[in-house]
Amino acid sequence: MSPEIICAVATPEGTSALSVIRVSGKGSYELLESIMSLDKNRLKGMRRKVGRISDEGQIVDEVVVVSWPEGKSFTGEEMAEIICHGIPRSIRTIIEILIKHGARRADPGEFARRAFVNGRLNAVQVIALAALWDTEKSRSVFTGKIEESCTILLNEIEKAREAVEGNIEFSETHLDEDNKSIRSVLRDLIEYAKDFKREADSHENSSRVLIMGPTNSGKSTLFNVLTGKNGALVSDEPGTTRDGSTGFIEISGRTIQLCDSAGTDGIGLDRTASEAVINELDGTEIVIWMSEGGMTPPDDEVIKRAGEIVLIAAKSDLKNRIEVERFLNVSSVTGEGLEELKKIISRVPGSMSLSGVAARIEESIHKSDGFISSREYDLAAEILGEAEIEARRIMGKGENIELSIERALAGMCVGK
Amino acid sequence: MKEEWDVIVVGGGHAGIEAALAARRMGCSVVLISAKIGRIGELSCNPAIGGIAKGTIVREIDALDGSMARSADSTTLHFRMLNRKKGPAVWGPRVQSDAKEYARTQQRHLRNSGVTIIEDEVTGLDGLTEKVSGVRCRKSSSIKGKTVVIAAGTFLKGRLFRGDEHWKGGRIGDISADSLEDDIVRRLFHVERFKTGTPSRILQNTVNTEQLEVQKSEKTSFTFSYDKSMNNGLEEVCYVTYTNRNTMEIAKDNLHLSPLMVGRIEGTGPRYCPSYEDKVVKFPERMRHKIYVEPMGYKSRYFYLNGLSSSLPREAQEKIVRSLDGFSEAEIADYGYAVEYSYFHYTEIDDTLRLRKTENVFAAGQICGTSGYEEAAGLGLIAGANAGRVAKCLEPLSLSRMESYIGVMIDDIVSKGADEPYRMFSSRAENRLHLRQDNADRRLHNTGELFGILSEDKSELLNGNLREAGRIKVLLEKEIVDGIRLSKWCRRPGTSVEEVVSAANSLAGIDEEVLKSVLLDEKYSGYIERNLRRYESRRDLEKISLKEISSYMEVEEICWEAREALEKSRPETLAGAERIPGIRPTDLQGLLIYLDRRRSTWNNARAGEI
Repeated sequence: MSPEIICAVATPEGTSALSVIRVSGKGSYELLESIMSLDKNRLKGMRRKVGRISDEGQIVDEVVVVSWPEGKSFTGEEMAEIICHGIPRSIRTIIEILIKHGARRADPGEFARRAFVNGRLNAVQVIALAALWDTEKSRSVFTGKIEESCTILLNEIEKAREAVEGNIEFSETHLDEDNKSIRSVLRDLIEYAKDFKREADSHENSSRVLIMGPTNSGKSTLFNVLTGKNGALVSDEPGTTRDGSTGFIEISGRTIQLCDSAGTDGIGLDRTASEAVINELDGTEIVIWMSEGGMTPPDDEVIKRAGEIVLIAAKSDLKNRIEVERFLNVSSVTGEGLEELKKIISRVPGSMSLSGVAARIEESIHKSDGFISSREYDLAAEILGEAEIEARRIMGKGENIELSIERALAGMCVGK
Repeated sequence: MKEEWDVIVVGGGHAGIEAALAARRMGCSVVLISAKIGRIGELSCNPAIGGIAKGTIVREIDALDGSMARSADSTTLHFRMLNRKKGPAVWGPRVQSDAKEYARTQQRHLRNSGVTIIEDEVTGLDGLTEKVSGVRCRKSSSIKGKTVVIAAGTFLKGRLFRGDEHWKGGRIGDISADSLEDDIVRRLFHVERFKTGTPSRILQNTVNTEQLEVQKSEKTSFTFSYDKSMNNGLEEVCYVTYTNRNTMEIAKDNLHLSPLMVGRIEGTGPRYCPSYEDKVVKFPERMRHKIYVEPMGYKSRYFYLNGLSSSLPREAQEKIVRSLDGFSEAEIADYGYAVEYSYFHYTEIDDTLRLRKTENVFAAGQICGTSGYEEAAGLGLIAGANAGRVAKCLEPLSLSRMESYIGVMIDDIVSKGADEPYRMFSSRAENRLHLRQDNADRRLHNTGELFGILSEDKSELLNGNLREAGRIKVLLEKEIVDGIRLSKWCRRPGTSVEEVVSAANSLAGIDEEVLKSVLLDEKYSGYIERNLRRYESRRDLEKISLKEISSYMEVEEICWEAREALEKSRPETLAGAERIPGIRPTDLQGLLIYLDRRRSTWNNARAGEI
């Protein structure tokens, strides 16, 4: 699935002096050069061009286009931003022109998702962005909590370091030379680290990939192949998987929860099961829609509530092989399309191993406590420093430049 | 009198002495000008050298062949290794010195080295600010020099305060360098005011020491100097007493008389070394403060009250002192006071300690905004060596912050400055596990050779240590005990150096000091390597020059606060920008984007021309 060119308005709806339209994906430059009648490669690299967007000889708007090369943009892809006048009608027209020339409307959060996939955003940032969108949609999210607990943890680590460092520098001239107070600070800190670990774990578990599709389209077989165990009852009889089944898969070092759902063709017994599954969707999941022969999801609810839908033409080893665009041919028997599918699944935001980082932080704090009791304050401080770097890094506060180019953009009000 | 000196040193404190000696060791002709020759090398405040991180600086000074370590060793009365129970990387050797004897020893070092000493007051620089030709003096008119090191300590427009008394002076009984300050300000150098203070000195025979806790010197063969030959064998005990409710009440009742509290002193004082009245205001719930009672010298008549610095009026100081256990009859010989002085704003100084506006003027010591004898001496040594280099038409050098506390200190003060007098703390060094007091000789060996400031004897001694360390490292790789290579054994968590020594066969008979130091290098090596890697990757930021930015106020990619902060300190590289307080990662990214965009517009414009 080579990323298509996506576009979306990045500024709020309504009339304003200016608006920004984002375009991302390979070929963005060419597309814009053509609708702005610019010479080839005028937008290549990091450029800023003033020009007119016209449609069939009709000038729509005079705009400024800022472009970023691959690897240096918010999404990490070839990308451009059109700064146009904030007139709703002309914005709509520009979007239509873009679509006519090969771009498609971006899904909610797709820019951020691409940024994450390309390593331009860290997990916490994606979560923070997700939380932002979700507030807009006035939905309750748990994801804000993880950032909060990480912020608290970071604060507490800083405090603990202050305590240890203060003891190193000043204890000789201080009255209380014992290490009891530091031990208690560290013990509290361990609790905060545990809290964060719990949040991270629960978040990780909640990044789900759901396999859905009509009854007997091969969902359970795919589930078993992906999870590598016989967790689901597999049978050729339609309707043998009633309550769904859950498993974890490891893809590129990430743990992702995979759910096998009951058939969702909305008939009889399955109706209730499928409704239950659909009701659980909260916009963060990838839904793998499996069907034989390229049948699209019948239920609007699924499309509305899923984060991303991957369409699969199942049982491609049999008669059902199709050559329809946007359908991935997959066969659990021959293995066709499985690698591609795994790649797609690995892009679930939040599935980055936050848990792993949380575990490392927790371990560091334990170690540090150990060093205090063996009276090696120098090492205790060093290890706490490591923990702080880890926490800062996942918060995007670290010294690592690559992590935060987009944060600068966000600070400059060009991000979502 | 010489036509033109290689190096003129203004000031005979800890910075001036090391500056003069370092330049002299490089073979330069050096003149040191002091307002009062008899007070050169005086310990103006507490009679002690060293401490946590500070003690390590003293060892670094010795590794660079400075004189502070040797003078401290030969006048030691009391020794303690601070933080002995906190891990070897934060051990801090500290000695009580005989204050008078220390100054005499330093003066002797100066004379023996061939530094010419002139008693006069320097009233200004001579010639163009960009390239001065020497200094002007009150008595002896102009003195010509290729380079000048200003090490005027707290004397630049020094003002002393005690209650409502206030008078001119850089230190009690001394002049204030007002004319020099005027000249510096006239030349448009940015100076600011700092404040510091000193406690009262008490007549020993009026104190009932039987009521005090005794603190004995540790028995040890430790010397700051790697020469190990200087210990005088003299010993004195120190005492400890505590403030109480009464002490606090007296201070509270007199707060309105404090020049600090009523705003007569505007300079910022050191937070970590507050006056007693500061403590009372900041920690009103705390009655008991530890006060160290330190003799000013061997069989001295005076005690120094460490922790009781004050600028309250005489009567109040007297009451405060007499409220302490054992001090009910105490007589004060010299009253405490505060001093306010001018120092160079950090933006004036570059990382070789040269003043940015000039080619040949360097600054060292408290005038750079630091505090403490050891800090001053470390700065002086580098300023003097660099002045020597410039006098010889060589480029001045800078030190890495990964290799020495002196390097950390210079980097800190010239890149971010401080809003209070800068004191060295071990936690300022990100590579602290490496910057230990035991390995300063090996850490700074290259620097010393590079500057050419090591005497032949010193060079031989340090080279010997280095070779020995190399030999030990080979042994650690060779011997296997219980199936584990010794080098690896050192790195196992919870392993002490002593354990390794007693378990090994091949390490018998090796000089214990070098051996333990090498084992510690090994023990911490994993952490040190990680720190270096991290530093290297951050150094990439250092490679990104910000020089092409003419005005930060126009960098729209970053927030206003950041623009102002950057415009004020004008860092040379992105790494420098990162260290400025209040600069966030997003601002760094903003700068990067600004640079990238600028470069691409620039390229576009050029492409257009062609």
